Amino acid sequence: MLNSPAIFQVNNRADARPYRMAIHHTELETPPGRQPLPEAERPKLETLREQLQPLKELPGSSIEALYAAQELFSYVPPEAITMIAEELNIPESQVFGVVTFYTMFSLEPQAPNVLRVCRDLSCHLAGAPKLIGALEDALGVRHGHNSPDGQFTLKVVSCLGLCDMQPAMLVNLDQHGPVMPDDVPDLLDGIRNGAG
Amino acid sequence: MELVVTRNFGRPESWTLASYREAGGYEALERVLKEMTPEEVTDLIKASDLTGRGGAFFPTGLKWEFVRKDPKTPRYVVVNADESEPGTYVNRLSLELDPHMTIEGMIIAAYASNAERGYFYIRGEYGLSHERVKAALREAYEAGYLGQGICGRSDFNLEVEFRRGAGAYIVGEETALFNSLEGKRGNPRFKPPFPTNFGVWGLPTAINNVETLAAAPAIVMNGAEWFKDLGIGDAAGTKMYCLSGNVVNPVCVELPLGVSAREVIMEHGGGVPEGRTLKGFKPGGASSAPLTPAELDAALEPKSMAALGTIMGTGGVVVFDDTTCMVDVAYRDALFFEDESCGFCIPCREGTPNLVQICERILHGQGTMDDLDLLEELGASMMASFCGLGHFAHQPVRGAVSRFRDEFEAYIRGRN
Repeated sequence: MLNSPAIFQVNNRADARPYRMAIHHTELETPPGRQPLPEAERPKLETLREQLQPLKELPGSSIEALYAAQELFSYVPPEAITMIAEELNIPESQVFGVVTFYTMFSLEPQAPNVLRVCRDLSCHLAGAPKLIGALEDALGVRHGHNSPDGQFTLKVVSCLGLCDMQPAMLVNLDQHGPVMPDDVPDLLDGIRNGAG
Repeated sequence: MELVVTRNFGRPESWTLASYREAGGYEALERVLKEMTPEEVTDLIKASDLTGRGGAFFPTGLKWEFVRKDPKTPRYVVVNADESEPGTYVNRLSLELDPHMTIEGMIIAAYASNAERGYFYIRGEYGLSHERVKAALREAYEAGYLGQGICGRSDFNLEVEFRRGAGAYIVGEETALFNSLEGKRGNPRFKPPFPTNFGVWGLPTAINNVETLAAAPAIVMNGAEWFKDLGIGDAAGTKMYCLSGNVVNPVCVELPLGVSAREVIMEHGGGVPEGRTLKGFKPGGASSAPLTPAELDAALEPKSMAALGTIMGTGGVVVFDDTTCMVDVAYRDALFFEDESCGFCIPCREGTPNLVQICERILHGQGTMDDLDLLEELGASMMASFCGLGHFAHQPVRGAVSRFRDEFEAYIRGRN
């Protein structure tokens, strides 16, 4: 199979990528939804490299490394994935696998305030669908997106373990509940004014 | 009723070392290190019938003994605080209000299982718990309860590392949690080998739920018989039950293991809101099959729940009143498991979306009576799943069909 003429020919095409042992996916065409880092943000990559140094001593710290990247850039850019793989000496595929496995990591830029609304059983019974609707109306976006003012990312997530505050939500990691649809305008104003 | 794991919750600043010590904290650890051998500790825990409060109810003493008897070193002790079961928040309260009790239990577990390293793994969404546990671990290090030569015993060391997850229900499964600790995707591993022989980094690991570990210091102080007698009937000890759903007081209460659902829901939860009637309840989070009001007197403990075809689970009691549609509840649960299936094995990856589709079809009035049989068949094939998630994902839907069949049939006949 390896010597089959078809493959040989493909590899010899003028525009063929030179053969490399490993291809970093920053060099590949960025698939839709994968956003490379804007030029202005690039200097922060050095900060990330510094933050990764203590994690080198800590086996299995890829989740912490990804948290560090997400705190710097608001999301996990492809450049950070490459850097984490290099610095922690693990396959890039493993880092990418971890990013896509855990729901708290995002491959797309997020707003400074990430709202996570619980949609599971207890909160559902206590009126989570209405709360989600009220938030969508107030922010002018469907859940899963960033609001037009760039201040909020609205996410609908699995049980947050806040069932005693049903219906509950997290603003970044701050617990809020019970939040009724009528409370939404005040809550959002509070976050905008930094009281979040 | 004597409280075990929640007894310090009402104290001012109950999460600090000073407050925990005032309430007699770390006395059990000192007694263990001065007076007992690891064998004696495991024998005591075995005699107390303490079982895993995360839902599996495996005998805790036995687990520690298995780890101690494995010759591989270093051995590990891991706190599983990846509580993500819908309707459950007991571990969150323990971590926020009394992290030291779990840490003390963890150190006792390490001594009993001869472990010298540990991880404290908390789910990513519990921000306040992260802060409190990190601070508590720091305090415990400073006070000499963690680190090298604990309490002056030069032969007992324990280094504990704090870790957080990043949002994945399946990581609560012990082998998935090991993969997560190792910095990988949280897919479960094949069992056997069991964690007691092949845990994190392939080494013997005692992995316990927060509530299980928190009970250990009290057992050391008061004895195995005392703990055993706290439970009702054959069940030993207490359990934190937490209420949510259509209930007046969504609260968490610590009660004897084996208490009736009636007492939990009616007395402590205040029943359903005024003017409504109770339609059913789930005894242990989303993965347990719902029960009817006729089963209110059943004891909330593993054996009697298994006899009713459901599970004790985590003790997250979710209450439904007459305004709740049970088809919608089944659909909601199916959506949860579809979302949380890790996608590793086919019966679960393909089965969970199928459950959703069938429920959706019925909810939209396009279901047929054959769909109800199909659910049974699908459930049977999902039992071939790799881990517990697939084994339990279909139970809430099938349980709802078996106990609330008329509601499903009403949708199918188009009367809703």
